[in-house]
Amino acid sequence: MNKENIAGIKSRFFEDISNSQTEKSLYDVKVKYVGRNGELTKILKNLKNLPPEERKEIGPLANRARHEIEKAYEERKKELGERIDWEKEKIDVTLPGKKEEIGSLHPATLVYREIEKIFPLMGFEIVEGPELETDWYNFTSLNFPFDHPARDMQDTFWIKSDKKKLVLRTHTSPVQVRYMEKRKPPFRIIVPGRVFRNEATDAAHEHTLHQFEALVVGENINVGHFKYIAKLFFSAFFGKKVDIRLRPSFFPFTEPSFEFDISCTVCAGKGCPSCKNGGWLEIGGAGMVNQNVFVSAGYPRNRYQGFAWGFGIERLAMMKYKIDDIRWFESGDLRFIKQF
Amino acid sequence: MKYSYTWLKELSGTKKSPKELAELLTMRAFEVEDAKTEGKETQLEISILPNRGHDALSHIGIAREICACEGRKFILRSNLRMLLRSNLRKRLEVEIKDKKLCLRYMGAVLENIKVGPSPKWMQEKLLVCGVKPINNVVDVTNYIMLETGQPLHAFDADKTTGNIIVRRAKKGEKIKLLDEKTYELNENNLVIADSEKALALAGVMGGLGSSINKNTASIILESANFNSTSIRKTRTAHNVITESSYRFERDIDPNLAETAAARAIELLEEYGGKNVKTAAISDVYPKKVKPWRIKLDTNYVNKLLGENIPVAKMKNILENLGMKMLGNRVSKLNVEVPTRRIDLKTPEDLIEEIGRIYGYENIQEQALVAEVKTPPQNAKRDFENKLRDILTGLGFSEVMNYSFYGADDIAKCNLGAEDHIEIANPLSLDQQYLRRALIPNLLRNVELNSKHFNEIQIFEIGKKFRKNNESMAEISILNGLLANDSKNPFFELKGKLEALLDNLGHGNTKYETIDPKYKVWHPARVARILIEGKKIGKIGEISPLVAKKYGIKKRVACFGLQIDKLLELEIKEKIYHAIAKFPIVERDISMFVGKDTKYADIASKIEKSGGNLVKEINLFDIFEKEGEKSLALRLKIGSDAKTLTSEKIDAVMKKIISTLEKDLKVKVRK
Repeated sequence: MNKENIAGIKSRFFEDISNSQTEKSLYDVKVKYVGRNGELTKILKNLKNLPPEERKEIGPLANRARHEIEKAYEERKKELGERIDWEKEKIDVTLPGKKEEIGSLHPATLVYREIEKIFPLMGFEIVEGPELETDWYNFTSLNFPFDHPARDMQDTFWIKSDKKKLVLRTHTSPVQVRYMEKRKPPFRIIVPGRVFRNEATDAAHEHTLHQFEALVVGENINVGHFKYIAKLFFSAFFGKKVDIRLRPSFFPFTEPSFEFDISCTVCAGKGCPSCKNGGWLEIGGAGMVNQNVFVSAGYPRNRYQGFAWGFGIERLAMMKYKIDDIRWFESGDLRFIKQF
Repeated sequence: MKYSYTWLKELSGTKKSPKELAELLTMRAFEVEDAKTEGKETQLEISILPNRGHDALSHIGIAREICACEGRKFILRSNLRMLLRSNLRKRLEVEIKDKKLCLRYMGAVLENIKVGPSPKWMQEKLLVCGVKPINNVVDVTNYIMLETGQPLHAFDADKTTGNIIVRRAKKGEKIKLLDEKTYELNENNLVIADSEKALALAGVMGGLGSSINKNTASIILESANFNSTSIRKTRTAHNVITESSYRFERDIDPNLAETAAARAIELLEEYGGKNVKTAAISDVYPKKVKPWRIKLDTNYVNKLLGENIPVAKMKNILENLGMKMLGNRVSKLNVEVPTRRIDLKTPEDLIEEIGRIYGYENIQEQALVAEVKTPPQNAKRDFENKLRDILTGLGFSEVMNYSFYGADDIAKCNLGAEDHIEIANPLSLDQQYLRRALIPNLLRNVELNSKHFNEIQIFEIGKKFRKNNESMAEISILNGLLANDSKNPFFELKGKLEALLDNLGHGNTKYETIDPKYKVWHPARVARILIEGKKIGKIGEISPLVAKKYGIKKRVACFGLQIDKLLELEIKEKIYHAIAKFPIVERDISMFVGKDTKYADIASKIEKSGGNLVKEINLFDIFEKEGEKSLALRLKIGSDAKTLTSEKIDAVMKKIISTLEKDLKVKVRK
């Protein structure tokens, strides 16, 4: 009889503890079976009243059961102690994250980087020059006649100085001569940098600008090569097929000189408000290097041929990001910069 | 310049619509910027390239271009017979005193003029071109200018002594011009005068005294040529720009004077009154300009353009533009250039003419054939880009500011004007100097952004400029600024700077207190940055007094680094260090130190006394109380060779503590 009782107590105990979800109820279960008046305790207390035969059989059985119960209790207690209350853990995952910030690069830097990624793939070297430039490199060496209107006070910032004629460079082209003085063709370079124009600012005009210029010189470089490279570059820059159109122009340091347009990147040349229905966007100036510029750099006349082209970084950035006012670039306004 | 479509059509014989004509000219010659149609007439606004003001600021010039673009020759009706007369009654005396400034002077006297309105067709053409009709005499001069490009002028002969002297003005000589303003002249200005007085500011504007009015009965008509530079200087000096000066300063052909004079006499005789009569014609032309020649290698044409244009086509294009081919050689053309094309001087100039008329769209793209090579890296630009990437990662945004500021900024930032480079012609007084530091404009950015942001972290990479006696230096600088609600943003910024320099491989940077030369810095919160003993830059708080002047209420921390100096530093190749095999233990030391005891000294004492067993020192607590500073440091101690016993560790700590107590008089809390 007691034998079955013990087995029953054990199985009920195991069932009860697995149903206990708190340490308190677990403890109550333990008390119920092995407490002072527990079911198993009663059997153990009664052992001494049993006949020796039966005591011999039941005693070890009951004692083993108590051990098992104690052990199971400890295990279950540990289990409950390590258990996580998921309900209490609950958070609102839609709350915002803890504020961390990565700064923004200036949009001009972003455009420079795009350009400087593409040209080196075509074997172009990136070259820079000073912003404070001599009259020689900025004008004379580039075949600007002495009475050229660009030398006027209203177009160029001149430096107050008794000795040297210095200007804030009006374009990146002085670097052409600076580079050629040290190097022999063939070469391919690009020149990024800051330039200055003495003009009042408005939505479309800035006195401080960023420019980009490419120069390729060799023995047989021709207009066809320029068209090829320009098309390759702009197609890579805009990530779509772009056509190039040249129109006659005039620059002292190139002959022939061109204005170059690209097929509208919005409508692919069909005509839309972005290109004022013309299908083309004016981008910059270009031309075949004037032989006088080669001579300024110390090359013999008519030994080499090359093309040079330049365009404004802001103009490209304005097209790319649809910026409507050029003055944002030098505004230092984080409401603008943090958008990039 | 504004052109009349119908006038161009009459002269060129084109059959193209205004739209087609605009398209053709834009692609082959000049950009047509605007076309306004009203009834049968269209006004075309054409932007003439600066090197073509010689010949193209005229309807004949554009008509000639249209013909060449359409593959035809332009034929000009010649009027020169108007000038060849033997039966003239009078003589007009013309004297050119300065033959450099006046290259030619043609004068004609016309008598029995009756001033009245000009014919309707003439008035209409003038109006399309934006010129207001005045009277028959003035309108003819304007009409001829628009037609030929030669500015003309008419004087009332009766208001002169009847002769013409072209001379430099006397210093202080005054003249009232047609705009009714009186100008004070000097020796650099050329005037048209008679025996008594100046009649006109040559090539710029006529004088009011000798102007044509309704009572004028006889005129002196002027068709002259003046030095372009002199005209430009004169009109700039007196700040007056006219249709005449605009053309003369672009340099026009002296031979054009006779074409224009003949045409003007023809029209004046027709519309100047019933009895009008030409009484005298004079022409003083000391040095006649003759056509010049350019030798053109036809192979070079194709080599530069990258095309295969047949020689016959090249010749045809040049001839349609008015050039003559001398001789019959095929490989080398001997091209005679008409005197109106002052811009054509070199073979490349002719190649441009061939290229544009041939059509640049007809030139095939050609793949560039070049040696495969890796272009040299631009180390500086790469480095600057690395700085940008790290800084944005640390939360800084990039700004770009003007390279200018004003005397006001120099004063506000206490920079000292003496080494600033001054702009001779600034746009405004607040942009009068080249920036000697990036900080003033960056402070302006802080002020602006304070309105919208609590936390401001910005950086700029740019050039600063400095005058050293007479030499001018341009220095690449990186400045980073941080401002938030903290009363002491220095350490937050310094932490970021340390992260930047660590990442660049300069974990051994030292900071040294300095007495700043420029009071833009907070005098008690600024340090010099030293790497390998070299001064690389500064970090500090901007003086709150300076910040206040910029309207900034926040405390602002700032660092500046010289990019070229950083770039010159040797960056050691990274070498792998074995990860510690033996345990590293942490031990804390807390201590009271004197108010002026520097952390840098404490750290260096610990390093020295602990030797290579001290792997890391970290400050984890700092507070000040009653003039004493409490620091709590956590040291990481271990050996590369073995597991340290606790006795050994205790011995090291004891040595460190006693050194600190002895050398720096700190009180270690036990």
